[in-house]
Amino acid sequence: MTPPAEITAPLDATLLRRSVLRMAHAGSTVHIACAFSIVEILAVLYRGWLRHNPLPQAPGRDYLVLSKGHGVMAQYACMYALGWLGDEDLDRYFADGTRLKGLSDAHVPGLEVTSGSLGHGLSVGVGLALAAKRQDTGQRCYAVVGDGEMNEGSIWEALMFAAHQRLDNLVLIVDANGFQAMGSTAEVLDMGDLAAKLRAFGYDTRDVDGHDELALDAALGTLRDQDGRPKALVAHTVKGKGLSFMEHNNQWHYTRLDATTLAQALGELPIQLESAPGARAPAEPEEDIQS
Amino acid sequence: MRTAFSQSLIRLAQADPNVVLLTGDHGYALFDEFRRVCAQQYVNAGIAEQNMVGVAAGLAKAGLRPIVYGLSAFVPIRVLEQIKIDVCYEQLPVIFAGDGAGVVYSALGSSHQSTEDVAALRALPSIQILSPADAYELKACMTLAYETAGPVYLRMGKADLGDVHDRPLTLRAGEVLNLRAGQGPLAFLATGSMVKTALKVADDFPGAAVWSVPSIKPLSEAAVASVARAHQVLVVVEEHSVLGGLGAAVAEIVSTHAPTYVCRIGIQDRFSEFCGSYSYLMQEHRLTADDVQAQVEAFLGRLTPVSS
Repeated sequence: MTPPAEITAPLDATLLRRSVLRMAHAGSTVHIACAFSIVEILAVLYRGWLRHNPLPQAPGRDYLVLSKGHGVMAQYACMYALGWLGDEDLDRYFADGTRLKGLSDAHVPGLEVTSGSLGHGLSVGVGLALAAKRQDTGQRCYAVVGDGEMNEGSIWEALMFAAHQRLDNLVLIVDANGFQAMGSTAEVLDMGDLAAKLRAFGYDTRDVDGHDELALDAALGTLRDQDGRPKALVAHTVKGKGLSFMEHNNQWHYTRLDATTLAQALGELPIQLESAPGARAPAEPEEDIQS
Repeated sequence: MRTAFSQSLIRLAQADPNVVLLTGDHGYALFDEFRRVCAQQYVNAGIAEQNMVGVAAGLAKAGLRPIVYGLSAFVPIRVLEQIKIDVCYEQLPVIFAGDGAGVVYSALGSSHQSTEDVAALRALPSIQILSPADAYELKACMTLAYETAGPVYLRMGKADLGDVHDRPLTLRAGEVLNLRAGQGPLAFLATGSMVKTALKVADDFPGAAVWSVPSIKPLSEAAVASVARAHQVLVVVEEHSVLGGLGAAVAEIVSTHAPTYVCRIGIQDRFSEFCGSYSYLMQEHRLTADDVQAQVEAFLGRLTPVSS
């Protein structure tokens, strides 16, 4: 596939993670680690692949369906970087009367589906892709699904259906971070070789390092348009990627940040503006993040 | 009534190319004609109902008009959460046609019987529940459902009981339809498969009025309260649990607006114990005309004597 050329939004993974931390601390939320595993995936999609021209609900946009709704803070971070959310949205996360919830919610412009009850978003995304086919709009649907979520029967129903309907405008991205709520995927319900399963289901499938943005772009670029096959990337990721105390530690599915862990986390994610040419400078100094 | 359903589907699909019929691998023969004349608007989603409803939500979000067909044991019950989150929460115009409601699948056991579907859906915000009694009501319900901007559940029960109306009708959301006027102490309100039974039973209660209630949700509070004020006992008859269905809806309204005795006749709080024909299971659940009459008389016998 070729990326739409007109969209180039700079999204720096470190800044996105810092935005997640800012929200998570403000709202005293869980689900930090599962947001961190999809940061590069979302950054690559928003930067180079999703046509949104430039508003979140623009007609004809490509769809980004976050089926693993627990990672929504990563998407909020992208939406903040794109200017769709403001500083108040991040700093008042979970405050009374605010609109950003802890799971993907279709009432928020920019979020396409209500998910978090797992196994819903992909089917809705498949419906969006099917509608695009029937209406010949040329839209693609990118659906990010967790490897734990792949336990859901409805996911496999969606996979079968999309392949049967020849939805080559569907791009499934599995966030294979190896963990789900109660433990590792190997411990809870071993899914085996997901790429092999997806190939067997008729998907043009690539394994890819889900934190290597160049590799993600390259993998998306090798998928062929209009060959009748849905696409799939099995993005191998690390839950809690980027923080020494969070990586591979499933406690951080549930743990909340305190002042100490926030300071440590921010220390491990230093701002390097030169690494993000054109990136939006952090709007708030660190002490505000800690407030 | 199934012929009317099939014809209505074709009429809607031919009038609006955005109509898409999805079935969870059900409807053998029922959709032959639809597939012949509207092939591009037919999708068999396979035995994968959860996905089918999510897909329907996506189609509706993109401006299409999906009609989801399934057995009422599966649509809505198996996919209740998909209906709640994917469809109702966004108030998407998806029509769910649940076939074989009640104990129609008498021999297939409880997995294929649905006597809780109305109760489950009544508590979901934004969905309407329609329950036609005959082919005329079904056609009117299909039209109303298509013209509704949000989700609609069309509950289709036993289909071959014959008509209760004698001419085409139009239906407004919440409307109750008078089938027999009467000033006696009793008024029957029945829905779906039980309307015909209610008409028969009412013969034995002089002056009893009979109303058909094809729109269970919304249900006009003014209309029900008006019926309640004109009678002393409301008898509600439905092929559905006595918990949470039309009887409960009526009782909720009159308890607020016009306190009246409500005799709720339906499936008691239990599954079918036995297998058998439809008529056999209706006997088991005491929903034949004779059984309904006996239940009404027993109810009246327990009341403080009704003032004359």
